[in-house]
Amino acid sequence: MKEGVVLSPTTPSTSNQNRPKSLDDHDDLDDAQLVARSLARDHEAFGRLIDRHAPSIVNLAYRMVGNRTEAEDLAQETFLAAFKALATFRSDSKFSTWLYRIASNKCMDWLRVKRPGQGQYDVDADEHLDFHLAEDRTPEDLLSQQQVAQELDLAIQRLPPLYREAFILKHVEGLSYEEMEDILGVRGDTLKMRVYKGRVQLSRELTALRVE
Amino acid sequence: MDEQDLVIQRFLDHDLTPDERVAFLQSVDADPALRRRWLNLELVIAEAGQLPRIAPSTKFLSQLKSRLAPHPPGLWERVRAAVTASHTLEWNLAGALTAVCLAVLAIGGAVTMIPERIVEVPTTVPQVRTTSFTSAPDPKILVRLVLLRPDAKSVEVAGDFNGWNPAQTKLEPSDEGIWTVTLSLTPGRYEYMFVIDGEQWIADPFAIEETGDGFGAKNAVLDVAI
Repeated sequence: MKEGVVLSPTTPSTSNQNRPKSLDDHDDLDDAQLVARSLARDHEAFGRLIDRHAPSIVNLAYRMVGNRTEAEDLAQETFLAAFKALATFRSDSKFSTWLYRIASNKCMDWLRVKRPGQGQYDVDADEHLDFHLAEDRTPEDLLSQQQVAQELDLAIQRLPPLYREAFILKHVEGLSYEEMEDILGVRGDTLKMRVYKGRVQLSRELTALRVE
Repeated sequence: MDEQDLVIQRFLDHDLTPDERVAFLQSVDADPALRRRWLNLELVIAEAGQLPRIAPSTKFLSQLKSRLAPHPPGLWERVRAAVTASHTLEWNLAGALTAVCLAVLAIGGAVTMIPERIVEVPTTVPQVRTTSFTSAPDPKILVRLVLLRPDAKSVEVAGDFNGWNPAQTKLEPSDEGIWTVTLSLTPGRYEYMFVIDGEQWIADPFAIEETGDGFGAKNAVLDVAI
């Protein structure tokens, strides 16, 4: 984990439970109702959407770019873009899916500009990964739980962006392939292949730590 | 991806049927290498799900919400809104009367501020001059009649404007024997005569136009126009 990064041990759902209860009725509204109120110039309604979804969006951005400041900037751009385009949001889709889509695009754009060597067109460079590592011992044989988490965090940052994006949405954010299809506009089979390759590369990197 | 990789990934993605899952678990029991590959991938998935989550900072939330907060409109926006917005005028009788009074006062004030326009009425003798003053927008026009008669004790004027009653309109003398009077007349054509010392009726000898009075004498004619 990077130095100076403050991590919250709570999940989004538990952090919401700890939040003081609002005096208004916004807590009782679902996302679609809050979007409708926001379109009716209810400023507090969009603030409630921020409170509800900022943890996931900031976390996704952090896992994609590996820097808290950049992650919060990207999350801020995501919410500002969503607010401006709120009238175009289709109520038949989930607001969280829409936000994830905007955030993913922001992150990929950032990676193209800031780290041109990690653009989406570079991902096939890792097709030659050795998927046939025969392991007799798990990485945990030599690494503590905390060390595994730290190494996994760094290894995720080294994944090609398309694998990273798919792996994070699937296994860090816990989304289904159907939700990922809606977010990324990519077929499920393709997403499964990207997640698969991400898993294998991460497994290889963690195992290599044992070998060294 | 070989056959074993494919089965492992389908197991991890829950794509295997129950029977296929049982068969897979039996195979990993029998094959330590396969079991190790599978467990390593399971470890990655489990660790990824337990990675600490990044909590948005208070600064992030406050900055974001302040950027989205509605801002008061600027001066130009307020001016444009005031100019372009449609308004409904609500009124009552008291307000209307007040407005009328204010309008009358304003017009009256404007009339007093406007300088008089002096129109010289040319005469053919040096001792008599007729001068008129006009004021807008009132249709009344001020006309000054002038007669040079140093020998007269009194001079009056009778005409269409005073019912031919000389007692109503007296001319005022000056030191040089110039008699003057200012009349307020509406535009039109007037006939008139001066009355000297209450008994001598004479037409304005230098009026531009004269006309017969029906009794053998002539009246001076004054055309008053704006």
